[in-house]
Amino acid sequence: MEHRSLIQRLIARPEFGPLVLLVIEIAVFWSINHDFLSPQNISNTLAFTVELGLIALAMTLLMTSGEFDLSVGSLFGFSPVLMWTLFNSGLTSLEVGFVAALLVAAFIGLVNGWFVTQLKIPSFLVTLGMLLVVRGTALFVTDGFPQRTWSAEGSWLAEALVGDFFIGPFRIYMSLFWFIAAAIALGYVLTQSRTGNWIQAAGGNPNAARARGVNVSGVKIGLFVLSSLMASLAGVISSLRTSAANPNSGTGYELEVIAMVVIGGTALTGGRGTIIGTVLGILILRVMRNGIVLIGVPGLAYNIFIGAIILGMMALHSWLERRHQAGT
Amino acid sequence: MAEPLIRMQNIRKSYGRVQALEDVSFHVNEREIVGLLGDNGAGKSTLIKVLSGAVPLTSGDIFIRGKKVSLRNTSDAIAHGIETIYQDSALVTQLSIARNLFLGREPIKPPRFLNRMDQDAMNTVARDLLKQVGISKNIPPTTPIGSLSGGERQAVAIARAMHFDSDLIILDEPTNNLGVAETQGVLSFVRNARDSGHSCIFIAHNIHHVFQVVDRIVVMRRGKVVADDIDPKKTSVAEVERIITGMSDKEIRDAIADGKPSH
Repeated sequence: MEHRSLIQRLIARPEFGPLVLLVIEIAVFWSINHDFLSPQNISNTLAFTVELGLIALAMTLLMTSGEFDLSVGSLFGFSPVLMWTLFNSGLTSLEVGFVAALLVAAFIGLVNGWFVTQLKIPSFLVTLGMLLVVRGTALFVTDGFPQRTWSAEGSWLAEALVGDFFIGPFRIYMSLFWFIAAAIALGYVLTQSRTGNWIQAAGGNPNAARARGVNVSGVKIGLFVLSSLMASLAGVISSLRTSAANPNSGTGYELEVIAMVVIGGTALTGGRGTIIGTVLGILILRVMRNGIVLIGVPGLAYNIFIGAIILGMMALHSWLERRHQAGT
Repeated sequence: MAEPLIRMQNIRKSYGRVQALEDVSFHVNEREIVGLLGDNGAGKSTLIKVLSGAVPLTSGDIFIRGKKVSLRNTSDAIAHGIETIYQDSALVTQLSIARNLFLGREPIKPPRFLNRMDQDAMNTVARDLLKQVGISKNIPPTTPIGSLSGGERQAVAIARAMHFDSDLIILDEPTNNLGVAETQGVLSFVRNARDSGHSCIFIAHNIHHVFQVVDRIVVMRRGKVVADDIDPKKTSVAEVERIITGMSDKEIRDAIADGKPSH
């Protein structure tokens, strides 16, 4: 087993399937429309990709621990609304509003985690309830109207989160670096740290983990908080970049994010997760959305392709899993 | 006589109005393998759950080396050196052998704040341990538990208990669903564990397996200990079976003829 060649080991990795799919996808889109790989298109695609990506990274850890969070899309819309409402009413500066939005998000994550671990209610139901509560709150406080956003030029917070600059012909937003940093940090946590071992054990066999003295509830609550924080941060970044705070934004993102994570190879049932896979999953779905528009497929047909990719990747993962079990 | 390793005294456990354990006293000596036998519902599992901290007792005392302890949860029991191995439930199938061995007690590479596991050290220890418990096949310690056989999984669980210096290893039905060779493997791990200074409680339905390894047999029936000093070398399987069922041969024949047990 230890003498297999590099290529065989590469193929055996769970991330191999998503990687092949991404390469094929890019090749097909590029061969149909060469503008697909133009600097401008790449820059545009990346700008929004990393915002959803931040949520998907946190969701990967949460799903590895055996839970998931449907309230992230609502928080994506709610947090910037809260920040701008506080700022516009003159109560706080933008920075304090930002911190307040993060604190509220952390509290929402705490409540999610508490319901799931202490009241033993499945995360599907808890976060579905929270989705409605948070979205409802965002709509109620704004009467359903977008918030007035002050053009964030010049604020150090806006510069740090979404400041943009050019590298050659590529327009790069600061959020890309936050995404890369988060991917490296969370990848490290999942594969190298002892916390990562606990996360995988909590999802794989919570009773065994508990019997070894692992604080399974603590791990899960922490990950719910992380998931809410990342959704909130992503919402604020998106709002600053587009100068918009719409209480309806983020609708449906929870399912797109979960799709990204499972396409990348993380198990919906917990126990196994991969950050590299999630990064590939994020790119697969965002490239697909961008590419089918560029090659002239009506944008409304997007969901057909996404659904087909999810089904196809699930079939591949289940086949690989069975082959793996049988082969040892 | 020397103080036993574990002494449970006048243990009572009731679930509502159901008395699962009635005034049970039970002990395990140092370096001793005790076979715990009894029919379904005799109270074996309840007694073990109390000892492993999984369920609280209603009344009674537990002493470890003469010192009274309270076991509120499984972590307490592990901290006191009591390790329970349930069939198939003690390991995380998705994690590797090494990661399972050290779960909850992962060694950390300095600097500490990076919280980074010392995976080299974990793999080295795991490789040694696998050899010690007699896994002769060359299985790399990074193999996920999910691709091991039932016997190999038991071996890993026993190796973990031995490595972390548990004084008492409780094996609940360790030979269930195992093949002949694997069963022999598990039985020999148990003997190894005793030889290296551990005590064991061995629970199994298969009396023949119990007879092969234990030093002393304790029999429970309907929440009570009915015999606690049976020497497997001086007693036959049939005699023990009679104690377990609490019936003579004739009563058993009558019960079978009637189609229901007579009390």
